[in-house]
Amino acid sequence: MSFAIGDKFETTFIINKAVYNGFVNIFNDNNPLHTDESFALSHSFKGKVMHGNILNGFLSYFIGECLPVKNVIIHSQEIQYKNPVYLDDELVFEAVVTGIFESVAAIEFKFNFKNADNFIAAKGKFQIGLI
Amino acid sequence: MEKIDILKKVNQVFIDTLDNEDIVLSYETTANDVEDWDSLNHIQLVVAIEKQFKIRFTSHEIQSWKNVGEMIDCILTKV
Repeated sequence: MSFAIGDKFETTFIINKAVYNGFVNIFNDNNPLHTDESFALSHSFKGKVMHGNILNGFLSYFIGECLPVKNVIIHSQEIQYKNPVYLDDELVFEAVVTGIFESVAAIEFKFNFKNADNFIAAKGKFQIGLI
Repeated sequence: MEKIDILKKVNQVFIDTLDNEDIVLSYETTANDVEDWDSLNHIQLVVAIEKQFKIRFTSHEIQSWKNVGEMIDCILTKV
């Protein structure tokens, strides 16, 4: 098994225009909170709020590309959104191994994304299998 | 812990994991008897049972189970 309890992984992501535009173009979620600056400002946000599910894309990238092994598949994931993320924010992502289940080759992680203000933007857990 | 107590706890793990309140396990129950007890859910069930009882199985043990009773016998050796 390539993992041990407490193993920690960290990387950074930026929701730049390419990511944002790509998400909007592919999934067509044009809710004004995400696309209308004045609407977002009128609802007490600092600007257009980035789609929370963009973070799931980063999570997918982390699991698929940043772990020390490539023979992985996602079994499950849960995410809670805590604070907004804005265009061009740098997100610090951290994942920690919290469970190892060798009998079924499964690894459980907790993760969080911190936003530019060092607040938790989102947190959750995911389980992967080693195939 | 008695075998029947383990069965009750395992039953609840199945209900929670498979999100099916109607599940009633017996010692003779097999995967063929429970809707959604497929290979991927089997992994989730094993993980949930390991967490519930704070135990760990081996892959050999898991592959040897023919029914819920054998799973519970295995749990009994570890709690």
